[in-house]
Amino acid sequence: MTADKIAANKMLQRMIVDFTTTELAPLDMIIDKNQDYPEGLFQKVVDNGLLGMTLPREFGGAGFDFIAAAEALNHMAKGNASMAVTLEGHFKTVEQFLKYGTDELNQKYLPTATKRIFAFSQTEASGGSNPAGISTRAVKQGDNWVITGDKIMITNGGLAEVYCVLAKTEDDQMAVFVVDQDMPGFSFGKREDFIGLRGTPVGEIVMDHIVVPSYHLLGTVGEGHDIGNNAHDDARVLMGAVLTGILEHELQIAIDYTKQRKALDTPLYELQIIQEKLTDIAIAKQNTKLLYEDGARNKVAGEPYSEVAAMAKSYGSRAAVSAGDKALQILAGYGYSREYPIEHLIRDARAMEIAEGTVEKMNMEISLKEVNK
Amino acid sequence: MKIVVCIKQVPVGDVKIDPKTNNLARSNVEGDINTYDRNAIEAALQLKEQAGGEVILLSMGPDSYMSSLRDGLAMGTDSAVLMSSRAFGGADTLATAYTLSEGIKKIGGVDLILFGRQSVDADTGQVGPIVAEDLNIPQITFAEGVELHDDNVLVGTRLLDNSVQEVKVTLPAVLTVRAEMNKPRYETPLNIQTSFEKPVTVWSEKDLDLDESRIGQAGSPTIVRKVYSPDKAAKQIEMLPQNAAAAVTKLLTELNN
Repeated sequence: MTADKIAANKMLQRMIVDFTTTELAPLDMIIDKNQDYPEGLFQKVVDNGLLGMTLPREFGGAGFDFIAAAEALNHMAKGNASMAVTLEGHFKTVEQFLKYGTDELNQKYLPTATKRIFAFSQTEASGGSNPAGISTRAVKQGDNWVITGDKIMITNGGLAEVYCVLAKTEDDQMAVFVVDQDMPGFSFGKREDFIGLRGTPVGEIVMDHIVVPSYHLLGTVGEGHDIGNNAHDDARVLMGAVLTGILEHELQIAIDYTKQRKALDTPLYELQIIQEKLTDIAIAKQNTKLLYEDGARNKVAGEPYSEVAAMAKSYGSRAAVSAGDKALQILAGYGYSREYPIEHLIRDARAMEIAEGTVEKMNMEISLKEVNK
Repeated sequence: MKIVVCIKQVPVGDVKIDPKTNNLARSNVEGDINTYDRNAIEAALQLKEQAGGEVILLSMGPDSYMSSLRDGLAMGTDSAVLMSSRAFGGADTLATAYTLSEGIKKIGGVDLILFGRQSVDADTGQVGPIVAEDLNIPQITFAEGVELHDDNVLVGTRLLDNSVQEVKVTLPAVLTVRAEMNKPRYETPLNIQTSFEKPVTVWSEKDLDLDESRIGQAGSPTIVRKVYSPDKAAKQIEMLPQNAAAAVTKLLTELNN
């Protein structure tokens, strides 16, 4: 890595910390309570060029690599995990355009990815981890495809304007198509009332015979499953980064409290039983960080990263829920109160035991990879 | 409009005093742009957005100052000049201002020179005003607002301890900027990347026609004899009685004493 690249990455991370501390962290509790970003907040993210962080320069982005982007989401999640997950959903989708999109598609869409959120949608009412069971259909008509179906639980659903959708063709092959909210036949369905990451909108889109030109096909027909898996891998690395941020936040709250709270005359942090809990949280934080960093490095180096990506999310999500519980116990009554952020950090982390593949699915994939080595 | 913003790199965190010189020991300490200088950069960028032109950063210091210039470029300024040489070392505010003034002359055709109101390490607030004197142009210090009225008329609002003063100047002029004037913009990811592609020029004393007796240690009459925390004058507060008549009587008695 060149000295300039190292310096640029350092400047980026400092900007993210600054932006998070000033703009996001003070609103963390309000975002959770109101289940939305306050008016103007998302626009600040757009205006400061954060959507284009990973987008190559040729498309108007800043061209930072996936390692830098993951670290940025780590820092952002320490102040507000919802906004970090909103960016995660966008970054992972942009990655699929870059890997599978044709020049024509990318020239049309990627220059807008600095202003518009892109989302990836696989899940349907029939299930999320079983894409073969989807009912969204893509029918070829001349030079166009006609897409019909209903996608649910889409990260940034409603906020995003461009959607990659997994569909089945007439001969039952999986394919991914790009649809735009401005296209006739596109409408939004309901927004989920989830218990965690409440700022991140998660919603439904309904596609009623949307006609898209053939170059809106991402990759090739039959490649849909691979593209979906690749999107999962990218998302899981970034979620490992978000979980690291949550763990850092949990640790910070716990440490701050143990410094100012005394049991008789002894600060809590001097008690061995408290030290044990703080140590558990600190080790979990470091482990998750190492896992996501390993995943990001392997991806950038062109090495396999699917397994370590699954590890980052599987380990990190369970660790962050468990660490949150320990921090809650340290803060006792205050930890159990909605006036303190610990309880919402647990709910935020809990989302990632499910999103982008359940922990059970992660663990199945990890074990099979280990068995087949 | 050609705007120069003079910036200083200041140490971050705790800084020790050099026992030999009684100055701040700045070497090997991580630095950052002086906070008020970011306000000056923001003011310059807003004026450029209004009137067009270019914003040039100017600083005097060692190579390590490059990182602060880079930060300034990442805010959206166009180019930077670093005046860097051992010959400039040990400069006080007088020698610094002289050197910067000569740099501004070399840049040429400058309409407006902006400074932060003062540096947060030395806290003198002197360099901006001395540059204005050296260049023999008007100055507006401690500005909390600035408006460009015509192409060459600027009105600055000075926020002073007990008053606000509007000052109109004809350009070229020097303006020193308070934090109240604006909220500095973030260095966006794209601007961070492009900051490495923008021109940065380094000048030493050999690149300018300088009076060597006025630069560096030789040009610095300031000698720091001692650094200490001033004794706080003890003040006694006496509360007036709640009863109005008693309060007035007490007050008159005190005032008469």
